[in-house]
Amino acid sequence: MTDIAATAPIHADHAHDDHDHKPGFFVRWFMSTNHKDIGTLYLIFAIIAGIVGGVLSGMMRLELAEPGIQYLQGWAQFMGGAGDEVAGKHFWNVMITAHGLIMVFFMVMPAMIGGFGNWFVPLMIGAPDMAFPRMNNVSFWLTAVAFVMLVGSMFVPGGSGNGAGTGWTVYAPLSTSGSAGPAVDMAIFSLHLAGAASILGAINFITTIFNMRAPGMTLHKMPLFVWSVLVTAFLLLLALPVLAAAITMLITDRNFGTTFYDATGGGDPVLYQHLFWFFGHPEVYIMILPGFGIVSQIISTFSRKPVFGYLGMAYAMVAIGVVGFIVWAHHMFTVGMSVNLKMYFTAATMVIAVPTGIKIFSWIATMWGGSISFKTPMVWAIGFIFMFTVGGVTGVVLANGGVDTALHDTYYVVAHFHYVLSLGAVFSLFAGFYYWFPKMSGRMYSEVLGQLHFWIFFIGVNVLFFPQHFLGQQGMPRRYPDYAEAYAYWHLISSYGYAIMAVGMVFFFVNVIYSLVAGKKAVDNPWGEGATTLEWTLSSPPPFHQFNELPRIA
Amino acid sequence: MTSDAIRRKNKRLALVAATIAVAMVGLGFAAVPLYNLFCRVTGYGGTTQRYDPVAAAEEPKVLSDTVSVRFDANVSPKLPWKFYPEHPRDTVTIGARDMTIFIARNESSRPITGTATFNVTPDQAGKYFTKIQCFCFTQQTLQPGEQVRMPVLFFVDPKIKEDVDARDIQEITLSYTFYPVDDGKKAS
Amino acid sequence: MKSLKTLVIAAALSLGAVGAGHAQAPAEAPAATASATPAPATDAATQAAADAAAPAGDATYVPMKPAPGVGQPVDAGINFQTQESPIGEQAYWFSHVVLLPIITVISLFVLGLLLWVIVRYRAKANPVPSKTTHNTFIEIIWTAIPVLILAVIAVPSIRLLAAQYEPPKKDALTIKVTGYQWYWGYAYPDQGIGEYVSKMLTEEQAKASGEPYHLAVDNRMVVPVGQQVKLIITGADVIHSFAVPALWTKMDAVPGRANETTFTVNKPGVYYGQCSELCGVDHGYMPIAVEALPMDKWKAWVRSKGGNPDGAEAAAPAAAQPVPEGPIAAVRTTAPAETPDTAAGDAPAASPATTN
Repeated sequence: MTDIAATAPIHADHAHDDHDHKPGFFVRWFMSTNHKDIGTLYLIFAIIAGIVGGVLSGMMRLELAEPGIQYLQGWAQFMGGAGDEVAGKHFWNVMITAHGLIMVFFMVMPAMIGGFGNWFVPLMIGAPDMAFPRMNNVSFWLTAVAFVMLVGSMFVPGGSGNGAGTGWTVYAPLSTSGSAGPAVDMAIFSLHLAGAASILGAINFITTIFNMRAPGMTLHKMPLFVWSVLVTAFLLLLALPVLAAAITMLITDRNFGTTFYDATGGGDPVLYQHLFWFFGHPEVYIMILPGFGIVSQIISTFSRKPVFGYLGMAYAMVAIGVVGFIVWAHHMFTVGMSVNLKMYFTAATMVIAVPTGIKIFSWIATMWGGSISFKTPMVWAIGFIFMFTVGGVTGVVLANGGVDTALHDTYYVVAHFHYVLSLGAVFSLFAGFYYWFPKMSGRMYSEVLGQLHFWIFFIGVNVLFFPQHFLGQQGMPRRYPDYAEAYAYWHLISSYGYAIMAVGMVFFFVNVIYSLVAGKKAVDNPWGEGATTLEWTLSSPPPFHQFNELPRIA
Repeated sequence: MTSDAIRRKNKRLALVAATIAVAMVGLGFAAVPLYNLFCRVTGYGGTTQRYDPVAAAEEPKVLSDTVSVRFDANVSPKLPWKFYPEHPRDTVTIGARDMTIFIARNESSRPITGTATFNVTPDQAGKYFTKIQCFCFTQQTLQPGEQVRMPVLFFVDPKIKEDVDARDIQEITLSYTFYPVDDGKKAS
Repeated sequence: MKSLKTLVIAAALSLGAVGAGHAQAPAEAPAATASATPAPATDAATQAAADAAAPAGDATYVPMKPAPGVGQPVDAGINFQTQESPIGEQAYWFSHVVLLPIITVISLFVLGLLLWVIVRYRAKANPVPSKTTHNTFIEIIWTAIPVLILAVIAVPSIRLLAAQYEPPKKDALTIKVTGYQWYWGYAYPDQGIGEYVSKMLTEEQAKASGEPYHLAVDNRMVVPVGQQVKLIITGADVIHSFAVPALWTKMDAVPGRANETTFTVNKPGVYYGQCSELCGVDHGYMPIAVEALPMDKWKAWVRSKGGNPDGAEAAAPAAAQPVPEGPIAAVRTTAPAETPDTAAGDAPAASPATTN
């Protein structure tokens, strides 16, 4: 995949052709079949969902800043529920549930796959568009409806208060016999829709990547970002249907008297956990693999060096995807399982550290010997590598079934998965956003604001999440609105961390608005000789229809 | 660009992918019977075995070792019954048939049907704990104030002594939980 | 079987050499557990008799005051709670002496490499990038070394698991634990102590008894020091999880099924824990308190609860029931009738005596 641009004579500057006319506003944005427009829609959607999810986590950190319950009842009342103590505590559970579901299904996934995937997979493989442009549009609007439904569920009764308070894992029987009212049904339907959207998206990506590559763009020449989306699409295709089946059975258990997960009728609540995590663990890689791809592109670009060990990098992702399907029960080590199963899942889980290590070291080796410039995307990508390493090694700790006994469902787990997601996936999202912003918008972002955003955000999230390791080791359980006095110190520090991070986000939004309005015009390739993938051969922004004549890759 | 050819190719591949997705949905639902089967075969989750004296080829060998068996009874908060074992535990000879009695009494003033779920701990004993007869296989209806003494016939499979993970087990706990049978709920 | 397991694990780590280490692991593991159990493997009845003969220094039971820093989180603490059980000590050793240094070194190593690369290969210092994209040797190294590290971790990890799953001893004290929305129920079937309920103290009550709010409860689970305790755990409504950090204990309470876990407490004290599986509104308000007492004081507590510390059923005769061949009918009685109605035909048709 190395020197595509250098060896491929591409004449893709059709930007000024007369037939590159865009449809009217409504048709363009509401009935869009253009992969770049749909990608933009997904990115805007993800930013909005991220604001909602981020505000929820801010409210949670505010409540947790000191012991005792300060705000919950007022918030519950503000949201249209009762203002009593029970409603307040229920609202806590609603917040943790909504934060988790929104960040996973409506922020990270739409941004990575819907946003960057839609925008750049066709560009990078030299395709005029996705294989099924109309299906692409359906995927987006299903996701949007799902999000509205999930947010809507917070305003309808869900048992002891408004909203679904089941946790993002929606464990039975709390989610079946334990939660009356339509909120949980709505949340589950929302997952159905989001899942259906993602499956359609996955089919679209698989077809596009397999069938629509430009002549000469063999699988082993594809940029790593395309590889990552391909592996992710397969994970989606295999994992999400299982979730769909699992939560369909939740719906029938709730409403139609079946007892799949209900011991009353011979069912087993543990079965739900198996099904959920059979989906849930690949889901973790669905969220991080495209990030791996983005980081690979950026590291290579700003080191002015091709990716080190390209094949190893590509097949490490395949390996992570495959192994990701056979380790699910490490999320349920305390559910009561035999020693043999626990030993197996411990060993299998640790195996994942090997391909992950290959990726980390290959990124460093890519930089090694390079000529590195530290533009905003690059600092985010380097931050990603280190933070993901920290999240990864705590994952190795948690993989040990015997150690997980103490750490399961504590803040240590919360810290771990926020290091791989909030400091891993989100760092790669920001990296990708700054990297491709000039290409997508045609304008340069502000380098100063971008750097400030990085450093403040970096300090903020570390202050926010690192102390949560301490809380977890001290025994602080997850999903608690209130806690013993002894935990107060680190909770307060953690909440300060949120505030710092929030300041960082201000710089992000200012930067985006400033750049869109007054940013310098971006050239076709603002990153120089290191940026070798096909999207940099097009204008910034690319023409509405690109590659009408397919590029040939030598 | 022969766009028709590409379109046909795309459709074919999308169809294959969609078939995979549908198959995975099917697999998700098939997990229910498969999980039950898996539990029965491996004793996972402390699932006990059933023994049919008529169909069985040979009687289990009686060993000289004994193992303690504890009986544990739970009632769903939704079921106004008393339910308890006659003896909280028993020492049984491995391989020999044993019987114990569980007692259930309907404390309410209406007839109620209940059904029991069960498992044994430790997990790895499930494969060897074999029931010949048990009230848990069917539903029980109790009239108001009625009390029933329900026998459980079981034996501990002598193969337990050949399993390195299970041979040191000193005590097996047999646990039941009685639930009301809701007419709307089908036993799956 | 053990060796098969070992093989699978070894194969998974693609490292046959460690197999031998694993094979010994389960055999060596019990050492720590065994040493903590004072009673040698005597038969339960003998134990009971010995206990009865011992002078009963029965003081009346007074709930113990928790010691600061024992069995509860400490202010601004960053480490695990001090472990007060043999398994906890072993696990703490593993996580603190094996895992923590390894992950710290790996993180610092990656950080060091990144810093070096950032300084050495910044555009100013290295204007012309190399074009190296392969080095088979280094790629093999960074695959093999993580495998080796994981193998080093796997040995004590598997050993720890084996120790945790060591079947409880015959004389283990059995306590039945039931999770409810939102409190715990404890019962001691062998001591004849029926289920009692353990609920969180309010802030005022906790302050009055000098205990930490959110952790203090009204009725504790009381266990003897040094005696292995076996918990049979189930949930009544939704899934809960019984957890005591200082005893390295956590087990889900799943409705419709019993789970089993064990712990042995090293020294007297109060050990707090909290429900660790989301169970609804008051998930954060159903703490656990385990009070460990010396044997004689524990017996006094049992008596204060109306139980028999030496075991109501300690000497239950083996196989007291005659075991007939073939199916046996369930025997039904309708209160207040005292005479057992032996006629099987009386059983309502809807619920036949079960023959399967």
